[in-house]
Amino acid sequence: MNDAFAFPYPIPEYGAEAYWAACNEERLVMQRCAACGKFRWHPSPLCTHCSDERFTWAPLSGRGKITTWTVITHPVHPAAVTRVPYVVAQIELDEQPGLNLISNLIDVDPDRIAFDAPVAVTFVTHPAGQKLPMFRLAR
Amino acid sequence: MSESIRDRACIVGIGHTEYSKDSGRSEMKLACEAISAAIADAGLKPSDIDGIAKYTMDNNDPIDIARNLCMPHLRYFGEVAYGGGGGPVGTIMLGAMAVATGQAKAVVAFRAMNERSGRGTPRFGQAATSAGAAGVASYLAPYGLFSPAQMIALAARRHMHLYGTESRHFGEIAVACRHHANLNPDAMMYGRPMTIDDHQNSRMIASPLRLLDCCLETDGGAAVVITTPDRARHLRHPPVFIAAGGLGAGAWNHRSIVKDLESHESESTVIGKQIFKDAGITHTDIDVLFIYDHFTPLVLMALEDYGFCKRGEGKDFVSNGRLRWPDGEFPLNTSGGNLSEGYMHGMQNNIEAVRQLRGAARCQVKDARYAFVSAGNAVPTSAMILRRDV
Repeated sequence: MNDAFAFPYPIPEYGAEAYWAACNEERLVMQRCAACGKFRWHPSPLCTHCSDERFTWAPLSGRGKITTWTVITHPVHPAAVTRVPYVVAQIELDEQPGLNLISNLIDVDPDRIAFDAPVAVTFVTHPAGQKLPMFRLAR
Repeated sequence: MSESIRDRACIVGIGHTEYSKDSGRSEMKLACEAISAAIADAGLKPSDIDGIAKYTMDNNDPIDIARNLCMPHLRYFGEVAYGGGGGPVGTIMLGAMAVATGQAKAVVAFRAMNERSGRGTPRFGQAATSAGAAGVASYLAPYGLFSPAQMIALAARRHMHLYGTESRHFGEIAVACRHHANLNPDAMMYGRPMTIDDHQNSRMIASPLRLLDCCLETDGGAAVVITTPDRARHLRHPPVFIAAGGLGAGAWNHRSIVKDLESHESESTVIGKQIFKDAGITHTDIDVLFIYDHFTPLVLMALEDYGFCKRGEGKDFVSNGRLRWPDGEFPLNTSGGNLSEGYMHGMQNNIEAVRQLRGAARCQVKDARYAFVSAGNAVPTSAMILRRDV
């Protein structure tokens, strides 16, 4: 596929390689602080709650709820021209209040999206090869 | 020595180019025209200016400005980060701190860009098309989240959910700014009136944001000159005093992509509480409002965060024409703002605030004594309170 017609692929930051590698194995993982036990997203070298350096890559259930969303209808990127309308959502993951990530809601009728609706992760392969965590409404 | 900036610096000159979709000249030319106009307005010469404060994202190099305007030497140059929104008041504060501490005698703060034509600055409403995304964008761009409008849409929808705010409330802000632009022949949207129905019928960009919730894109330049009160008293216009001002970022700015509406602290509350205390006034003392208007929902949220109303009460605050000159209690962005005058990243609001306190605005608020001016929220921001001399 011509990359000009795909959204940008992620270039892993130093320290975030394990996040993307786990996605390629269809596992959602996040850094969990070894000192305070809290998760954080997106990856960072120090805990964003207590600044401790020690952490483990901990698995998540991939379940959460919708805390807000937008249906994008005006394309601002060449790849968006054939993608609109598409849905970008903030998902609060079940493991921790305020543990939010940004992703796409896929296979969804925009009129049926609701606040606090439960969602579950799925993985979609970007044309460049990286698998991306995305979400569907949970049954 | 005083611990705040209160009354230790003044704005003494204002200047701008025309605002257009295609300036037909370079960004450096625009910068020099706006800065020259501001210096002349102050009754100064370029050789009197020894400091330049810029937005980090502005392409115009201070040394190149000094070269073109034959400024013999610079003793101060600084810049403010966080895009276009973080800069308009932040640059003023850099200038104020520089003159108050003797680092410079007179500082110019400016913004100049060919943002609409794209001849120098890429359009903010368009995404760069590199194949890969790095840094924070590596977690957003793969999902098609690129533009400020798209990110703000996420916060706007959550505000509507939490507080019952409706799209028509956002429309009140757009209509107020357009009303003022239609009284300002220099505004890009002069002669193009807008009603709430027009707003409600404008197309969706990223729901719930409509086209008329979004600021303009503009080519142009705008500048102000800052100096000390002692020097200001000998210049052409009555000085406008900086009663208080500063920069602010809240914890959510580094914890979240979407503006956190549950937290009681935001970039705006951090600086807002401080500047009202420093100025020694309350919200009811403010005669005219200049709230950075990149997107209408953020204006409503800024009014709440700065304490003009409680969080969740923005929808009532903006209704019933309260933001419209001459009858509204809190006239907003009286030359049209980013939404309808020209998108000079808020520098045009600084200029209009000075006009109001000189008594020289087209939509002149009677006996205006205090103006509140904010930079863009939902990014680390800045805000100030300006005061008329008497």
